[in-house]
Amino acid sequence: MPPEPLLSVRGLTKRFGGLTALDDVSFDVAPGEIYGVIGPNGAGKTTLFSCLVGALAPTAGEIHFQGRRIGGLANHAVVRRGLVRTHQIVRPFRDMTVDDNVSIGAHFGAGKRRGTDARRRTAEVLDRTGLSSRARDLAGTLPIGDLKRLEIARALAAEPACLCLDEVMGGLNPSEIVAAMSLVRSIRDAGVTVLMIEHHVHAVAGVTDRILVLNFGEKIAEGPPHDVLADPAVISAYIGDEEAAS
Amino acid sequence: MKRLPLAAGTALAAWTLAAPLFLERGTLNDVWNLAFAVILASAWNILGGFAGQVSLGYSAFLGIGAYTTVLLSLKGINPFWTLPLGAVLAALFSVVIGLPAFRLRGPYFTIATIGVGEAVRVVASSVSFTGGSSGLRMPAGAFDFTLNYEAMAALAIVTVGIAALVRKSAFGRALAAIKQDIDAAESLGVDSTRFKLGAHALSAALVALAGSLYAINFQYIAPGSVFDFRLSLAIVLAPIVGGVGTVAGPVLGAIVFSTLQIKLLSVPALRDSYLFIYGGLLILVMLYEPKGLVGLARRLVARARRTPAPPPEAARAA
Repeated sequence: MPPEPLLSVRGLTKRFGGLTALDDVSFDVAPGEIYGVIGPNGAGKTTLFSCLVGALAPTAGEIHFQGRRIGGLANHAVVRRGLVRTHQIVRPFRDMTVDDNVSIGAHFGAGKRRGTDARRRTAEVLDRTGLSSRARDLAGTLPIGDLKRLEIARALAAEPACLCLDEVMGGLNPSEIVAAMSLVRSIRDAGVTVLMIEHHVHAVAGVTDRILVLNFGEKIAEGPPHDVLADPAVISAYIGDEEAAS
Repeated sequence: MKRLPLAAGTALAAWTLAAPLFLERGTLNDVWNLAFAVILASAWNILGGFAGQVSLGYSAFLGIGAYTTVLLSLKGINPFWTLPLGAVLAALFSVVIGLPAFRLRGPYFTIATIGVGEAVRVVASSVSFTGGSSGLRMPAGAFDFTLNYEAMAALAIVTVGIAALVRKSAFGRALAAIKQDIDAAESLGVDSTRFKLGAHALSAALVALAGSLYAINFQYIAPGSVFDFRLSLAIVLAPIVGGVGTVAGPVLGAIVFSTLQIKLLSVPALRDSYLFIYGGLLILVMLYEPKGLVGLARRLVARARRTPAPPPEAARAA
């Protein structure tokens, strides 16, 4: 018997006018999994995350999280139930300190912590993400690598049961990618289920348990990374359909 | 460094409360005007500055406070007892208009609030229980200016105090997050609509209290005075010139503005040009110091600290 899924998505569809960004996508994520979402540009990966957390309203389909229906809830309400996302293009509160940025998650996320309790959580997360030394700096002054970590730190402070990471490794150098991969593993080891969109195929293969592949809004494959990456449909989606190319 | 504004604020507050002991009536009247402007600017700043939701409809709340006080006083109730009801009504009204208006963002929200403010003025001018466009007079009775002055001064101090508390609180940080990136705030669990409604209601209630005291002081109100769009505009200009989003900025801006207005209104040739001068100031601030007088002061302090050090070129290279 597979365990009860933490996140269950059925028939998720999102249309923007005539464009179908997500077309009848279904999948389950088990508790404690690191679940990758890959696909070419414009495949609908970020739209998928936006629909999951309620930043966008799905056109059709059902989303259940921890057995409860969350489709149609507002973003902040989904966060409070423990499903939190990061943004591919970092969105720090630039005029706030790093510490204050993270404390927003501690105060208003699923933990709803107050006072010293919120401060403790903030300090703990800053420490885990290696940002303690920059706690008092304005977020607007951080380099991109630190901003990517801040994006994760804020989301972690919100105490997710499931964290959706949107391309946190984009723009990082190889050693930063290795560090990010071990951070993702440590987040999972601390009991947080991880969904991650990643362009960097080798990073995904190295860290995920299973992968979902989207192409033009449709699910074209799902399974363990090495099987999926060898799937001809996936290869043709990435490289193109011309057989002459091989 | 952090103690300096607190000490200056406490001294200013004490001076303001004690002013009736040593100021003559005319000057005291000017200080009353300053306190009134400080309340409007600081209260507006809670929503407009902290949360970045620029409303041009605040005359509606001032008018609700003023009309509540006059209408109930005409029924024989002690004017001061009417203050809380005016504040509650204004807060409720702020929620009623906030629910649809906060679905709009940026300039669209601002435009909607102009519409609300004007609609309230038109309604107040055309229904009969408000006395229509000719307005209402307070019932004749004993009026104690010193009492009104002390109430206005105390309300100004309380308003600035509330603004300072809000800014330091988690609520204030949520408002700052909403101002900087509302979607990012939502994605961390901030219920942006609820916090915007809360900030709106709080500032509306404070403005309504000032409106009630205004009505008691002037003994006469009309839609053209308390629901005037120029009033809504002036409420916004003071915090912007002083430094939007800070606690000291609106206080500074209100003091500069009111002083200017008092001086300008006393010169007949300039009486009609004060809005022109406001506009000029606003353009200067927008162009050269978007953080207002507070931003300018911070820049000067930072420069003063750097001067004892070696020449700026060397400092920059280091």
